[in-house]
Amino acid sequence: MKATEERLDELRRQAERTGRVDAKGIRAAGAPLPEPGAEHGYYGLPLLKPPVWTWEIPLYFFVGGAAGASAMIAVAAQVSGADETLVRDARRIAALGAVISTPLLISDLGRPERFLNMLRVFKPRSPMSVGAWTLAAFGTLTGATVLADELQRRTDLPLTFVSNAAGAGAALSGLGMATYTGVLLGATAIPVWAENVNMLPIHFAASAVASASSLLELCGHQHRALPLLASGAAAYEVYATREVARSGVTSTALKAASLLSGPIPLALRLLGIRSKRARRAAALASLAGSLITRFAWVEAGKVSARDPRVPLGLM
Amino acid sequence: MTTTGFLTDSTLCIGCKACEVACKEWNDVPDDGFLWSGLSYDNTLTLGASSWRHVKFVEHQPRTGCGGNAPGHSTWQFSSDVCKHCGNAGCLEACPTGSIVRTEFGSVYVQPDVCNGCGYCVVACPFGVIDRRPDDGRAFKCTFCYDRQKAGMEPACAKACPTGSILFGDLDKLQRRGEERVEQLHAAGMDDASLYNPTDTSVGGIHAMFLIRGDSRAYNLPPKPEVPTTLLPRAWTAAGIGAAAMVIGSLAAFAMCGSGRSAKR
Amino acid sequence: MPGLGTTFGRGGATTAQQDLANADAILIMGSSMAENHPVGFQWVIEAREKSGAKIIHVDPRFNRTSAMADYWLPLRAGSDIVFLGAMINYTLANDRWFRDYVIPYTNASTILREDFVDTEDLGGLFSGWDPEKKQYDSETWLYDGASAKSEGTQPGMHENSGGHGKDRSGEAQNLDHPRRDETLQHPRCVFQVMKRHFARYTPRMVEEVCGIPAERFIEVADIFTAASGREKTAAICYAVGWTQHSTGVQTIRAAAILQLLLGNIGRPGGGIMALRGHASIQGSTDIPTLYDILPGYLPMPMHDAESAGDLAAYIKKNRSPKGWWYNLDKYIVSLLKAYYGDAATPENDFGFEWLPRLTGDHSYFGYWLDMADGALEGLFVMGQNPAVGSPNGKLERKALTKLKWLVVRDLVETETATFWKKEEDCDTEVFFFPAASHVEKAGTFTNTQRMLQWREQAVEPPGEARSELSFMIELGKMMKARATELNRDAPLRALAWDYADDDADQVLREIHGKSRDGAIKHFGELKNDGSTSCGCWIYSGVYDGENKALKREPRGRYGHGWGYAWPLDRRILYNRASAAPDGTPWSERKKLVWWDEAKGEWGGDDIPDFTRGKRPDFAGDESRGGDEALRGDAPFIMHPDGVGWLWVASGLKDGPLPSHYEPLESNLPNAVHPRQQSNPASNRMERPDNAYASSPDARFPYVLTTYRLTEHHTSGAMSRTLSHLAELQPELFAEISPELAKEVGVANGDVIKISSARAEIEARALVTGRMPSLDVQGRRVHQVGLPYHFGGNGLVTGDVVNDLLAISEEPNVRIMEAKALTCDVRRKC
Ligand SMILES: Nc1nc2c(c(=O)[nH]1)N[C@H]1C(S)=C(S)[C@@H](COP(=O)(O)OP(=O)(O)OC[C@H]3O[C@@H](n4cnc5c(=O)[nH]c(N)nc54)[C@H](O)[C@@H]3O)O[C@H]1N2
Ligand SMILES: Nc1nc2c(c(=O)[nH]1)N[C@H]1C(S)=C(S)[C@@H](COP(=O)(O)OP(=O)(O)OC[C@H]3O[C@@H](n4cnc5c(=O)[nH]c(N)nc54)[C@H](O)[C@@H]3O)O[C@H]1N2
Ligand code: SF4
Ligand code: SF4
Ligand code: SF4
Ligand code: SF4
Ligand code: SF4
Ligand SMILES: [Mo]
Repeated sequence: MKATEERLDELRRQAERTGRVDAKGIRAAGAPLPEPGAEHGYYGLPLLKPPVWTWEIPLYFFVGGAAGASAMIAVAAQVSGADETLVRDARRIAALGAVISTPLLISDLGRPERFLNMLRVFKPRSPMSVGAWTLAAFGTLTGATVLADELQRRTDLPLTFVSNAAGAGAALSGLGMATYTGVLLGATAIPVWAENVNMLPIHFAASAVASASSLLELCGHQHRALPLLASGAAAYEVYATREVARSGVTSTALKAASLLSGPIPLALRLLGIRSKRARRAAALASLAGSLITRFAWVEAGKVSARDPRVPLGLM
Repeated sequence: MTTTGFLTDSTLCIGCKACEVACKEWNDVPDDGFLWSGLSYDNTLTLGASSWRHVKFVEHQPRTGCGGNAPGHSTWQFSSDVCKHCGNAGCLEACPTGSIVRTEFGSVYVQPDVCNGCGYCVVACPFGVIDRRPDDGRAFKCTFCYDRQKAGMEPACAKACPTGSILFGDLDKLQRRGEERVEQLHAAGMDDASLYNPTDTSVGGIHAMFLIRGDSRAYNLPPKPEVPTTLLPRAWTAAGIGAAAMVIGSLAAFAMCGSGRSAKR
Repeated sequence: MPGLGTTFGRGGATTAQQDLANADAILIMGSSMAENHPVGFQWVIEAREKSGAKIIHVDPRFNRTSAMADYWLPLRAGSDIVFLGAMINYTLANDRWFRDYVIPYTNASTILREDFVDTEDLGGLFSGWDPEKKQYDSETWLYDGASAKSEGTQPGMHENSGGHGKDRSGEAQNLDHPRRDETLQHPRCVFQVMKRHFARYTPRMVEEVCGIPAERFIEVADIFTAASGREKTAAICYAVGWTQHSTGVQTIRAAAILQLLLGNIGRPGGGIMALRGHASIQGSTDIPTLYDILPGYLPMPMHDAESAGDLAAYIKKNRSPKGWWYNLDKYIVSLLKAYYGDAATPENDFGFEWLPRLTGDHSYFGYWLDMADGALEGLFVMGQNPAVGSPNGKLERKALTKLKWLVVRDLVETETATFWKKEEDCDTEVFFFPAASHVEKAGTFTNTQRMLQWREQAVEPPGEARSELSFMIELGKMMKARATELNRDAPLRALAWDYADDDADQVLREIHGKSRDGAIKHFGELKNDGSTSCGCWIYSGVYDGENKALKREPRGRYGHGWGYAWPLDRRILYNRASAAPDGTPWSERKKLVWWDEAKGEWGGDDIPDFTRGKRPDFAGDESRGGDEALRGDAPFIMHPDGVGWLWVASGLKDGPLPSHYEPLESNLPNAVHPRQQSNPASNRMERPDNAYASSPDARFPYVLTTYRLTEHHTSGAMSRTLSHLAELQPELFAEISPELAKEVGVANGDVIKISSARAEIEARALVTGRMPSLDVQGRRVHQVGLPYHFGGNGLVTGDVVNDLLAISEEPNVRIMEAKALTCDVRRKC
């Protein structure tokens, strides 16, 4: 009611001031009218609604993915008896990611103050619900891990078991963080997402791993497992790029993202195996690729929703 | 409570948009912009957060001598679109807050006091119905006039329709009525008439059926709508594979590389 | 509505919208009923669905009505009489007319004077044309042997009167014993004259003039005429697509003639449904806002030598010897009693002298031009938005600047209230009063089928808004309080203005009437001796014991018990004609009202529009006069001869039969009568600020027509201000054909300029095949369609289409030609 009246008042004021209401007068394409019909649907107008998500969501996909993979790396590093600083940094990246993720997610809500409604119910059939709970768990566990770590370091309390257990839990939910976003996009009505449902979670997992290991590398860690992981992920991205291209999805952003996450870092890592600068460049490329990938996929979803031909079975 | 439904009969619709206006009036829906489209007489164009009924103007070049009712000449077919209240509703399945519920009338209802505007229902609807209102932040769509139905009244749009194009009532009875009407139209030479109700897809039938003439695609009604939840097994399998790859990959990488030379420089 | 009034006796729709459901075919022409009367249109659909009635729509545009029709024939705007004339010709030539109905129930057999000369022989003019005065003398149109009743001009033909007085018609002459030839063989009988008159209106001519292929026309003519007769009936619906022409009344006449010939009047599923406009526009002719009639279609007295005089002279001049209008004296006296109460006495002629007189053309456009010339001091505009809704908007807005003061009472600040913002040089003082809307006050609407429906007040008016009633009552009281002793204020002093504030019920009771001794049942009890009073005789009966307009208990086929239709709750007028002369229904399927011998009265599904106890074989009692003098088989009881008039001997200013003339602006010659381009009797009111294009005019090569959209209401004041409606049609557009778009290099959505001899406006181009180009007289004719709802105020705005129109007057009702003029179209650079 209020919204209506306010909007009306605003329009009335505008009409009074300028004699016109601006928000009108779009130009229809073509003359005569495009006829509705079996060939182009209802005047070629979109059948589906494009995603309403703004920049926060793809950024969150990126941050959450990297954080999740980082939690996993922490466990792997710890199990293999790698340097403690690597474990700690990986855990910290995971926790930091979780801390950044939450406001990103909240700020994209139409009603941010109602974020907690996400935890009103648990709906396994809703990837968004699963994701919200995963983030909640991830945030708690990574937090607990880092907290236990720090306390232990400063107070010498016997908290190793706690931090390790929490770390393991964080890794488990981290796996969810890295992959569920692919489910979230894939299990929708948006054609390009749905078509790539088999691939998106793996694609996002790979991209998460690449960015997590790249981040650790950029922090100065030189464990050989990191470039190895990153190269593996890049190799998968090369494969994924081919698959995506085959399914007909084309966008400059996606192409750029593919290049940055697949061939470029792979080549840099293989060819410049000795060069620190090459490794740095590769890490940066992977990060950028991973980031752009999420933006590109959300954008591709928006574009795809505008084309009624797929849902109408005209392609 | 019986399950109620709509049967919107395009062959009786005169495109007056009284349903659109009645819906807005009853539900206090704000304007959806003052845009002139140039597409026939349709300036609403789609259903949305602030357009819960939408009258489509499916237009072809008219031919002298034939009115729109003549067999074989659906020259200007009007059809009042609305949320389908799907048997298996993508929006309902997707909603993480439980804001979207199925009512005792079988309809799909968004509880405005629960919705937090996550926008996930928007991409989960195979009919492009529900949307988020930018200034308000919540998702809106047809409520099937839950408040009116509760009070034993028919929905505002059906009430306002002057020609009986929007029929409201018991879903099963409407289904039968729709089938009879199709037969009747076929007998009258309108063999392009059909009842749109995708019962054979994962949507599992809709509670707002449409009687249309011609190809459903001209009305932007998808021939094979699917609920996105059908993709969940595949999606989670892929997620499982992804996760497994992450576990195996990272463990293997670290195992292969031992504990060696990982110190910060 | 003199087209219907002269033909049948009453100027209202002969039927009810619900009854359309009983039709076997429906011709909708000159209306987009689905768009502008969507609620009533449900019965058209019901006819289509239930009995397979064929729906025919004839309209320049393919619109929402065409989409529901079985046949749509696009015609060139302004060529309707050719189409209808050809329907009449087809009916006669193919023997489709209903002989058993036509002979007893119409004046087909009446023999005409020898000196009448038809358009055929006078190059498009009827005999009696006076080129000096530019008007007809109808003397030669009279029946053979009938004398003009009074010396001088017959009442309906007076230059100062409009045609509304003629909604009742029939007082023009002594028709006691018209000479008849029931074999219809006499060369001068109406039937033969008419047959010759319409012989020119052939399918070929339809193709030539209307642009409708001859075979299409024949197809439709066959369907419509075949759906009439004993077993079947067909109905015609029209609205302002017919009336807003310089030949509007004659177009309706043509339809009326067709329906009489087919025997479709007074029968279920038949009739002519005049679709009226505003919610109570019928009410505003019954209790008129018009200048030339008093409530109940009593003529307004004139102020000139020949009509001056006392009440007796007025009655003598206007009363019919036979038929219902014999009672005119009772109605005028009862009206005067309602106006002046105790001050009206037999000695002072019941105050007849106090009634205003017509001193000239006080029609709408007449006074508007006077205003433009500075002859008017002040103006009340209540419930109208002439700055947008009336033709030649520019001139109208200019005229407003010449006023000293202007009072606008409206729901919203209309363009009429804010016109001064855009005029330089305007000293007019404008007073704006907020008005209560229909839901904020109680009262009745009289709908398109003459039905009064009372509505209760739903909410209190906001702020200082108040009802018309309370405003007028107070204004009246204030004026009375200021009445001086001067003679000119005598009527004001005499006026009984004893209203309590804002109580519509008391007004309805006054309209219903009363007698000195108490209540009356209906107008049958009114007297001419001053013992009764009645505010509008045709409504009398609405408050018989209770407020019948408030009733909501429909029963039977015609929903009696819901509202109250004048007269006496008859839903279908002239329904005596639904039975054969002997009183038995024409057929079982189409029975409505019939003679019940056992009860000795008329009965059936409707209230008989006939004296209940008058036997079908009653021969008429000449000695009694009035209704008693009419026979038992005379269904058209308002007419002095009791029959429907195929031929209108007097009362129409442009001829006894319809004849095609081109619109006042047209690029085509009149193919029917090449020597008479446009209606000679119409008034162009041409002046520099009301200029015309010549016919033809190379500057304005296209036909322009205007119309409504469902989404808006008339001048848009009530729809452009509401977001729910405004968003549905947010911008002014012009519908043009793809062919024309190509010719002028315009794409869909482009802004174009449309110009006429008066003005130029802008609109979006809506390029659509729904607005086809036509082949007419060997040329390609392009038509441009403009909805006229836009203006400068409100949520959505646009140019005023009416700036393009000229002020002009159809001779009978003085309506402008809004549906056919010429224009140019070009792209805005
Ligand atoms: N939604 C809505 N309903 C309304 C109104 C409104 O503004 N909006 N206005 C009310 C009022 S005041 C009135 S008077 C009525 C009017 O009701 P209508 O008469 O139905 O109104 P219009 O749309 O002006 O004109 C009717 C049709 O006449 C066609 N036409 C134009 N020229 C010609 C011609 O030369 N011959 C023929 N045969 N057809 C022609 C037009 O294309 C149009 O389709 O509607 C009433 N109802
Ligand atoms: N070109 C062109 N011009 C036309 C026509 C056409 O077809 N073409 N059609 C003509 C016809 S048929 C008509 S009827 C006219 C209509 O023309 P107008 O009568 O001038 O236009 P409306 O917008 O109907 O004006 C009615 C006004 O009354 C106000 N109103 C409503 N209810 C109340 C009330 O209870 N009290 C008071 N005081 N005010 C109230 C409304 O807000 C509105 O401003 O236009 C005519 N002009
Ligand atoms: S049509 Fe869309 S919004 Fe409506 S119930 Fe189905 S999925 Fe939900
Ligand atoms: S936007 Fe609201 S209704 Fe839609 S899924 Fe999110 S919480 Fe549910
Ligand atoms: S059922 Fe109610 S909410 Fe839904 S479209 Fe109709 S009026 Fe609007
Ligand atoms: S109210 Fe009825 S007739 Fe009018 S547009 Fe809606 S469905 Fe069609
Ligand atoms: S606006 Fe009123 S008068 Fe016009 S169709 Fe609707 S209900 Fe009837
Ligand atoms: Mo009107």
